[in-house]
Amino acid sequence: MSTLRTISGGPTDGTESAGAQMLERFRAIVGDDGMLSREDELLVFECDGFVIEKKAPDVVLFPTTTEQVVQIVRICNEFDVPFVPRGAGTSLAGGCLPVGGGVMITLTRMQRILEINLRDRYAIVEPGLVNSHLTRALQGTGYHYAPDPSSQGACTICGNVATNSGGPHTLKYGVTVNHVTGLEVVTPEGEVIQLGGVADSRPELDLTGLFVGSEGTFGICTKAIVRLTRDPAAFRTMLGVFETVRQATEAISAIIAAGIVPAALEMMDQGIVEALEAAFQFGFPLDAGAVLLIEVDGLAVGVDDEAKKIIDLCRESGAREVRSANSPQERQKLWKCRKQAFGAIGRLSPSYCTQDGVVPRTRLPEILDFIIDCGHRHGVRIVNVFHAGDGNIHPILLFDERDEAQTQRVLQASHEILDKCIELGGSVTGEHGIGVEKLSFMQKLFGESDVAVMSDLRAALNPDGRCSPSKLLPTAGACGMEEVPQIKPGRKAPM
Amino acid sequence: MKSFTSDNTEEHVPATPAELSRLLAENAATDRRPLLPAGGRTSLQFGYDPVSGSVPVSTTQLSRVVDYPARDMTITVQAGIRIEKLAATLAAERQQLAVDVPQAHRATLGGVAACNVSGPRRIGLGTMRDYVIGISAVDGQGRLFKAGGRVVKNVAGYDLCKLLVGSMGTLAIITELTLKLRPIPESSALLWASLPDIQTADRAIERLLTSATRPHLIELLKSVAARHIDSAVHADLSCHDGGICIGIGVEGGPREVSWQLATLKDELIEFGPTDLVEILDDDCQPVITALTEFSTASEEPLTFQAGVRPSGLSAFWTEAAARGISLQAHAANGVVLGHFPDELATLEHAQTTLEDLRRLAAKWDGCVTVLQCPPEWKAELSLFGPAGGQRQWESKIKQSFDPHHLLNPGRFFVEPAARTH
Repeated sequence: MSTLRTISGGPTDGTESAGAQMLERFRAIVGDDGMLSREDELLVFECDGFVIEKKAPDVVLFPTTTEQVVQIVRICNEFDVPFVPRGAGTSLAGGCLPVGGGVMITLTRMQRILEINLRDRYAIVEPGLVNSHLTRALQGTGYHYAPDPSSQGACTICGNVATNSGGPHTLKYGVTVNHVTGLEVVTPEGEVIQLGGVADSRPELDLTGLFVGSEGTFGICTKAIVRLTRDPAAFRTMLGVFETVRQATEAISAIIAAGIVPAALEMMDQGIVEALEAAFQFGFPLDAGAVLLIEVDGLAVGVDDEAKKIIDLCRESGAREVRSANSPQERQKLWKCRKQAFGAIGRLSPSYCTQDGVVPRTRLPEILDFIIDCGHRHGVRIVNVFHAGDGNIHPILLFDERDEAQTQRVLQASHEILDKCIELGGSVTGEHGIGVEKLSFMQKLFGESDVAVMSDLRAALNPDGRCSPSKLLPTAGACGMEEVPQIKPGRKAPM
Repeated sequence: MKSFTSDNTEEHVPATPAELSRLLAENAATDRRPLLPAGGRTSLQFGYDPVSGSVPVSTTQLSRVVDYPARDMTITVQAGIRIEKLAATLAAERQQLAVDVPQAHRATLGGVAACNVSGPRRIGLGTMRDYVIGISAVDGQGRLFKAGGRVVKNVAGYDLCKLLVGSMGTLAIITELTLKLRPIPESSALLWASLPDIQTADRAIERLLTSATRPHLIELLKSVAARHIDSAVHADLSCHDGGICIGIGVEGGPREVSWQLATLKDELIEFGPTDLVEILDDDCQPVITALTEFSTASEEPLTFQAGVRPSGLSAFWTEAAARGISLQAHAANGVVLGHFPDELATLEHAQTTLEDLRRLAAKWDGCVTVLQCPPEWKAELSLFGPAGGQRQWESKIKQSFDPHHLLNPGRFFVEPAARTH
């Protein structure tokens, strides 16, 4: 058993024996079928949806109870090894990368729905529950769980909590943090604490809000209390067809500025539409510069008025036509196309990478112009599909990673786009997280004292830095903290 | 910086965030005087008394609109801006910060965020945590820092906006906020009715939770509270003695509003409502304002706010009403506001009653917080109830932001040990 070679330190003599001793302790907690430690088994866990940086953990554990998580964390502390929680591993920023190796605590076997309370509009779920399984369990109740990342068929609630996930419908309904009211957390020291709760108006700090989006650096979420949202009574789904990207982005700005909050507002440019059409034969116009997928929801009596306003605004911005989805089946197909857009990209190039920048919504025309220009300058083909209503862009840079020079140009272009997002008053990540991928941007986005305050906070709650080392903040300074320089763009399946 | 002394009171009124930062850094390095962050001073009675020698630090000079890109539906403003002024600025673009704030002419945005103030519309529109997307503040050591940003979707860095909203000035003094805004709806309406008792009201609320309509406000008022609101706005909300008044608010396009009003009346019929009153459009705001002011507008000895699971509201209400407490509830959220009657105006009575209410609230996963009471009771009364499960982290976070315990020491929950009583 040589896989624990990197586990070092510990109270006993010799790293080998300490490692072996630790493995036995883990085995006693989770059993043989609750752990993986052979090199070939560990390979699967060497990366998440961000495949460019790879590092296999020394052992992967599959606890089934909070108590098991507690015991595991305490042993990690005793032996001074880093540990990292993992859900389904759909992070696009390397959120689950086990920097420095160590113990990976995979929560996918804690996947029960513990309670659904419709009268008080909440559900209590275990961390490894798949996002869409909650929505499925709620079908027919008149309620749903609102955050709907495109990976919702695979990603887990605890992963959503860690990254504060978004999704197309978060434009109107808000992201994960707006729907989580309480958490059970195993702290980096191995204590169980309850943050927030079911009832409103608690005289305490909003530590639930702080924990959501902390990318595993404050501990391991073992239970979540989530809010349930009423289903809308009616939808109207439209497809606006534009000659140019600029016209489409101007329509987006006009819709938001008119005070309309659509349920979703997504943009796809010609390149992505071609790939989608080849994959799904929906009937998208292939000669259009861009299409907008727009959905309004609400009361049956109101949605038509709102849809009409949107159609008028699209026409004023130069839309060639605005189609309506005429049946629930057509609507479903449209959304399927959108959510699987990235699956279709394989048709365009052998490799691709995407970015997750955000700009103020009125600056969308500028950033899209910049992206087009940036692609020309670097000789890189870029296509776009993104959450336009939030100003959250996902430019997809197409390349062949066997071509080293091209790969470097893609990396350069990616960084220029994110720098431009910052320059326009935006951010480098709207929903994927900093992870390890965008660590170098934190100091561009935040000043020295901002990063210092955040680092102190992490040091207060994760004093030894063993829990999720080298994530979210560029400052290292604890065990397992390794510099993760970005040398290649990631080939990722974006949202 | 204006620093002045009169009648033994000093006050710091920094004119810029940098000045505030210098002031706090200097204080932490030298005198280590306890500081009392203050905005519009509408919540200074809340919490335990400041330790003696506390020096107020006023944010009222930090009141500039920094950036208002109205077409982005966001605004960046300094924390000392008065809510009334902010609302007027936004209304010019038909936009709003959709949070109800008492004493809006005095209250400042920073104070509202620090105290996490909210009102009746929270069920439909959310609270401050849903609207603050960027924040700047100065911590106890004088570090001026920011988190979040100016875009509506952003997960870069820790969400210190959530941490500072509701932190009661114990971690840092907020200097600037970026808010996500909402459009002012074209039309709005309130439907008022009297219901015979709390059990009927409870069933009506349960019905409303699955209503074909989408109310953004569901209020319950005990008759005495209803009369109070009525006299404030002359809205003719008749409410029989012993009865319960229910108010339901809807908004949207004119067709949506009128359809919802009609539907709500149909849905309520089975509960035997009497004295139905419809309030439309511009007439709604004064009523919402009066409902918002209920928590502050009282001469009564003690005012509390409870939060229970909504299904426990009826049980909690019944017990509280039996003690003669004047009650209002943001019913769909399970938030109850109550003023103690004069019969409970002794410390002993107040203590026993609070203990009873807390026991009851705990059954419904809830808690009871004292919003105001006579200052001389504060040494004996537990204002916040038993510590929650996250106290250990709260102390660590306090230590990280304010290691010398200079910001509001002893006044709030995060550091009970520092209380000097």
